[in-house]
This record gives sequence, structure tokens and C-alpha cells, in this order.
Amino acid sequence: MPAHVNKTVLGKEYPPYTVTVERGKIKEFARAIGDLNPFYLDDSVGQASCWGDVIAPPTFPVTFRSESGDSAALLRDLGVDISRVLHGEQEFEIHRPIVPGETFVCRTRVVDIYEKSGRTGPMAFVVREIAVTDRTNEIVATMRQVTVVRL
Amino acid sequence: MKYAKVYFDDVEIGTELPPLVKAPIQQIQLTRYAGASGDFNPIHQDDEFARAAGMGGVFAHGMLSMGFVAQALTDWAGPSTVRKLGVRFTGLVRLKDVVTCRGRVLGKSSKDELNLVDLEVWAENQRGEKVVTGRATLALPAKE
Repeated sequence: MPAHVNKTVLGKEYPPYTVTVERGKIKEFARAIGDLNPFYLDDSVGQASCWGDVIAPPTFPVTFRSESGDSAALLRDLGVDISRVLHGEQEFEIHRPIVPGETFVCRTRVVDIYEKSGRTGPMAFVVREIAVTDRTNEIVATMRQVTVVRL
Repeated sequence: MKYAKVYFDDVEIGTELPPLVKAPIQQIQLTRYAGASGDFNPIHQDDEFARAAGMGGVFAHGMLSMGFVAQALTDWAGPSTVRKLGVRFTGLVRLKDVVTCRGRVLGKSSKDELNLVDLEVWAENQRGEKVVTGRATLALPAKE
């Protein structure tokens, strides 16, 4: 039986959640990618830099997750099993560098849901935007991600 | 931008990024990336699960390949130069695949004292099949 996505999720805003950037997490993330840039990994290079600390790689905000606002919650709301989803597209807008110890607020919103037929059959596309802001409410990064559901 | 390795002035439309060739994908890297990113979808870890899901076996997180593309950009331009990076995941990256990231400058613009360079970026496997395609915008310093 073909799967369906619950389209009433369109427009839903998830409860904002906070994340605190951890030094070890930045390094673990850079190493997992195999990106051994000293600005990510070497504390002394970071301290001597204009940022005063190591910084996070460009795609690091993808680690900003929460139980209430992340993909698992979205899949529950859509009524979709994880085995049917693929990551279709991803975009980052990066407004400033991210350093360890900062606390951010992440706000996730479902901005679009549409269906299309692909090579492998019908698919639904679910588009989320996640705005990351700092303590002064300045925008730090924006993520836009497209989840593909194989129907 | 302070540690940029290329000047805005020296970049021309058509300038190509030095290709970044990554090591062959191993399961342990996908496990490390799962832990580092928090994406524990078993489709990247459990071959049986991935087969049952109709995916023909385990494949890499798209975000890992996107991380490679970001590395190609910052290796060339320096840390904290990426203002925007958007990609589409166009093919699956399998175990043992060798991913090469490439890019080419499409345009240059200056506004509000920011010097921006737009690029097309992509990653391909060892057969030359594109697995990631997208666009990036970098902020680069201008010569005095």
C-alpha cells in the first residue's frame, strides 16, 4: 500500500529549542568529515585568531537537534517510517562564525510540502527551515532542508 | 575572511577550485559521521535494513558529501569564507566510493563592502557520476 504524508503538517512551527556549542563536538564533526583544518581543530590556532577560539565548519549547524523539533518528530507528524525517507536538498546561509560555548535558539518551520513523480515512483517533498539565533536575537545561520518521502 | 587564501581581485569567472579527492568511503566513517552529526538513520549503518528499505544496501549520509564540498571551498578560500551553500543530493555514495569535489566561479559582485563570489559546486564518484550539485557564495577580501 502506498504511503501518504499528513499534509496538515504544512506551516507547523516546532517548539524552539536551545543548543550550546561544544568544543569537542566541533572537532568530532570536522574529524568525521576528514576536514583537518587547524581553525576547527587546534585550540592554539583558534586562540590566536581574530575569533579567539576554534570555529565550526560550514555544515556544523546540522548537528543542532532536539527531541521535540528534529527529523524524528517531523516523521511522526507526517506519519512516515524512516526507511522511506531520503535527504533531497540542503542549504545553509551562514551569517557569522560559530565558536564553542555559545548558546543558540533554533526555530523549525515546515514551509512547503509537494508531491512529484520521480524515476522510482511518486514522492513527497517536505521543506523545513530552521532559523538559528543568538542571545541578542541576531540571526547566526539559516538552514533549509528538503526531505524526500518515497510514497 | 581575515584568513582568506585568495583575493577577490584574483578570482575570475571560470576559475576552478582545486579538486578535493576524499579517501574511499568506509563504514567506520559513516558511523563516526552518525555520532558526530546525530543522524542515526540505520540506512547508513545496517546493510540488511538498507536492503529491506529497497536501497540496495548502505549508503553515505548526503550531509557527509556536503561536508566534503564545504571542505573543498574552505581549503581553497580559507576558513569562514562560506556565506551560502545549497546542494541537491543527486546520487547515492556507496562504501568504497571515492568522492571528488569540484567547483567553478560563475559570478562576482560587490555590495555593502562585501565582495562575493558565486560558484557552482559538485561532487562526483570515481565513475564521474554527480552525487551532489549545488551553488555556493563566498565572501573574499579585496586587495588594498
